[in-house]
Amino acid sequence: MGKILVRFLVTAGVGFCLLQLSQAHHSFIAVDPNIERLMTGTVTQWSFNNPHSWLYLDVENEDGTTTLWSFEGSAPISLLSKRITGDTFQPGDRITFMYCPLKDGRPGGHLGWAQLGDGSFINPSDGGCAGDEETIARWKGWLEQGFISKAEAEAAGAAL
Amino acid sequence: MKNHKISPFGLGACLILLFASSVQAQGSNENEELVVVPPPMGFETSSAHYAYLLDQAGGGTQHTVATVPQWPGLWDRAGNTISKTFLDDFVGSSTQEGGRVRTGILTPPYEQAFQERRQEMSEEGQQKYDRLTHCESPGYPRFLLEPYTREFINLPHQSWQLNDLMNENRRIYIDQEHINVYGTHSWLGDSVGFWDGDRLITHTVDILPVDYFRGLPLTSNQFESVEVWEMKIFEDGSQRLEVQVTFYDEHSLIEPIHAVYAYKPATVLMEIGSRIRQWECETSSNSYLTADGGTNFLLPGEPGYKDARGVTLFPHLPGQSRDPVYETGLEN
Repeated sequence: MGKILVRFLVTAGVGFCLLQLSQAHHSFIAVDPNIERLMTGTVTQWSFNNPHSWLYLDVENEDGTTTLWSFEGSAPISLLSKRITGDTFQPGDRITFMYCPLKDGRPGGHLGWAQLGDGSFINPSDGGCAGDEETIARWKGWLEQGFISKAEAEAAGAAL
Repeated sequence: MKNHKISPFGLGACLILLFASSVQAQGSNENEELVVVPPPMGFETSSAHYAYLLDQAGGGTQHTVATVPQWPGLWDRAGNTISKTFLDDFVGSSTQEGGRVRTGILTPPYEQAFQERRQEMSEEGQQKYDRLTHCESPGYPRFLLEPYTREFINLPHQSWQLNDLMNENRRIYIDQEHINVYGTHSWLGDSVGFWDGDRLITHTVDILPVDYFRGLPLTSNQFESVEVWEMKIFEDGSQRLEVQVTFYDEHSLIEPIHAVYAYKPATVLMEIGSRIRQWECETSSNSYLTADGGTNFLLPGEPGYKDARGVTLFPHLPGQSRDPVYETGLEN
């Protein structure tokens, strides 16, 4: 009874707020988190630097040319907490990943999840794009069905 | 006793303090809900509050290197109650939209500014720009809530609180008086403190105006605090470092507010051997303030783009790459 009373008096209206989301030093307003697309490219640079990591990849276009794409990930120290290091992506690695694009259409966005060469999935995302276990599980199902975007999966009526 | 008054709620608060302490001692593990412990009575100023606690502690515990409490290792955030101080019906992160601004906490101009900030978040889904984007220091009290890795180094004459984010190093001068020889305030202010057994009590003044966090209210240049730091050991042996804070601000707060912030051991980081490194933003941040007040990013090849793994201002000299392991500079 005393414990309940104390909690009512002291913590009424006061919650336990774990700020696990959106750890960036900036807003994510430039990115559309509702658009999720699949992409494969060859790593040019894995900039495991503060304040945010960036993954730069050469991606082949349909006409045979390549475009350098840029994707922001979480801060290095947050990635280290997930056991993602400065050596996780190395130049020349062929990587498949999910991203949320920049709203203005330039070749870039925010990383969601990424699939390593051994087939494992990792979550290098920050608040700009979902890359958590739930998202990875959802996408594994979509990958089996051959979808390359969230929009495509939704249009096909795939379970969300 | 000078410089303090007993409010009508003082006695009740004392009883709450006693009960709350008992509740905390019964916690079984580090996930135990955080409980705000208000000060034993109301105070007009942070100085009066601090002086009262110092008096109650008999002038403080005089620790030696052998006896001063140690909080070793790396630490990460483990929750706080500050967001719900300012927002009702709120769940999640302050950086997300939602909740209603609680009235009667902030003074009218600061409440209006906070309403406008939350309104923008409601319309845009998030705050369009964060002052940290251009590498501005988080400052205090944001220091308490910022993510990433912390170290707490306690010595008899100083306590250092380090956060890797922007290299914020907070020094608390034990058993000393406030000093300001710079003619202005600073991001983290000037902190003094004393030990009351295993608890560290601090007083911080002379702080530049900042904010509590992205999505939370602004503070003024008269913001001050009194903190009580204490390590909690739970029944399962787990640890949680908690700081009970009272914030004073004659410009932004109608009355002082109370909150608790917590930190837990960063076990994975310690397992993999992570160490706090020098943090900087100048050569590596490509996010910027747009003309319409939003945030965007420069990409390789665009004017002003910074290659974090590029070369220094002396590219004609050998060994000037900032990526000596992989040599992946994009604009070399």
